[in-house]
Amino acid sequence: MALSRLSATLRLLWRERIFYAFVAPFAVITILFGIWPILLSIQVSFTASATALRATPTWVGFANYWTIFADPLFTTSLWRTLVYTGLSVVANLAFALALAVLLDSTLLRRGNMAIRVALFLPVVTPDVAGYVVWRWLFDRSFGAVNAGLDMLGLPAFGGLSSPATATAAILIAELWHHSGFYMLIFLANLAIRDKQLEEAAAIDGATPWQIWRLIILPQLKPALLINAVYATIQFLKTFTVVVVMTKGGPNDQTNFVSYYAYQLFDQGRYGEATAMATILFSIIIVLSLSMLWISERSGTK
Amino acid sequence: MTRRRARRLLLGALAYTAALLVALVFLYPYWWMLVGAFRRTRDVLSNPLRLVPEQIDFGVFGEIARIGGVDLWVYGVNSLLITSASTAVSVAITALGAYALVRRPTLPGFKLLRAGFLVTIMYPYMLLLIPVYVVMFKLGLLGTYAGIILFLALGPIQFFLFEQFFRAIPPAVIEAALIDGASEVTILTRIVMPMAAPVVATVTLITFLLNWSQWFPILVISRASDTYTLPVALLSMNTELGSNFQGIMALAVLTTLPPAILFVIAQKRVMAGMAQGAVKG
Repeated sequence: MALSRLSATLRLLWRERIFYAFVAPFAVITILFGIWPILLSIQVSFTASATALRATPTWVGFANYWTIFADPLFTTSLWRTLVYTGLSVVANLAFALALAVLLDSTLLRRGNMAIRVALFLPVVTPDVAGYVVWRWLFDRSFGAVNAGLDMLGLPAFGGLSSPATATAAILIAELWHHSGFYMLIFLANLAIRDKQLEEAAAIDGATPWQIWRLIILPQLKPALLINAVYATIQFLKTFTVVVVMTKGGPNDQTNFVSYYAYQLFDQGRYGEATAMATILFSIIIVLSLSMLWISERSGTK
Repeated sequence: MTRRRARRLLLGALAYTAALLVALVFLYPYWWMLVGAFRRTRDVLSNPLRLVPEQIDFGVFGEIARIGGVDLWVYGVNSLLITSASTAVSVAITALGAYALVRRPTLPGFKLLRAGFLVTIMYPYMLLLIPVYVVMFKLGLLGTYAGIILFLALGPIQFFLFEQFFRAIPPAVIEAALIDGASEVTILTRIVMPMAAPVVATVTLITFLLNWSQWFPILVISRASDTYTLPVALLSMNTELGSNFQGIMALAVLTTLPPAILFVIAQKRVMAGMAQGAVKG
């Protein structure tokens, strides 16, 4: 019985061999540089760092996980990562939505595409280059930001050197780099909405606010969801901006999980670094799946 | 009626003011970078806001002709080579892979592969690179162009764009060809790929733009700076102590210019493609 099923499967595989051939290169790359490293990372998180890369590592169970949760720097880092993610998601989505609504309006006909290009350009600008420029823009002696504030008679901005403002500074730089993408998704959603509903509501005497709130916004749910999931994943992983602009400082204020894990990796503390990676990965999976689940539930109502 | 027109004019003026203001703020860093590449460091210190450089002096490109013991042109060639090659590999393997997964979604292993791929793209890739380093070492690809190029060939937006396109092909088209006795290879090369030409173009463009920006995989897989690309060189220059501000800005201009020009030329295709690829994900 089992044998005949096996031979049936083998015959199927042989008959469809061309599709296996098509998929093979993609599968090989996905397995070699995606699935295998992830499994390896999870494996390493259960071994002692010193032996992690040997053929027969020493298994330590959850020891690395207990170590990192006993490390106040990690728990603070995790908390700051979550807070930063929350702030960034809200700031980026609100800003991008406002821009999309503005650009979608019939008031902005001429030059609309040029403005879209200007706002989207940072998305395709190498992030390193963008953040290098922002790092110097925020610089106390070179930077245009404080020179500009000074010219306008406004108080100086602490930028990257002050713990109180460093998070805001990198949030601004990341907003510049990412918000054009979220705007694009909102614009795509706005373009396919049903405009007849708005005309009908306007004839019935609805105010522009009512039309926006009760007719347009509900139709933007798909874009809101996609953007929320993307942005959450994006900002939980925040890394490049930290490497370029703050190196985790000042006072570990911007030492987010992926940067902290990378530092530990650099010091050869593989077990703890991969334990952090596994935790961050679990948070990403749980958050994105629950967002999708919530949306599906509210969608079927 | 005239009151309504006046109101609309006023609203229009407000909308333009807001949009142009944001656009200018978004573009200002580019201008500041460009001007900074031509201004002497002490001039910038005395007046960071100057909108036009005091002189147009290309001397700075002589200063950055060698960075970290490697010639600037090597970084440029690496950028072009790694980006082009990884784009070509990415388009080829993703198109074939997505095509097979769409045509035969239920074959043994195919669902698992798709799920594995989706998990991979959700994994924080900067943390993925820790084990990727080990994998590259085991495969003997550490420090090689091949290692960098193969790693950069995997991307979600490419996969989703192709998957979406292949799903939209009417099954009747393929069935008709099968009845005519065409082989799967013929169907792919004679029917599907010609239809897919616009998607291939879009994916090629987007992959090129995305991979040009990559830096961390290149830094991790490289053994020495001779396989670095422009963004990686820029990063290492920015990390040096006693930074050369003018040189950094000049290198940032060189890093930014190629994708910026490409994007401005192909703006519609890039933006439409990115929106489409994301919406599917």
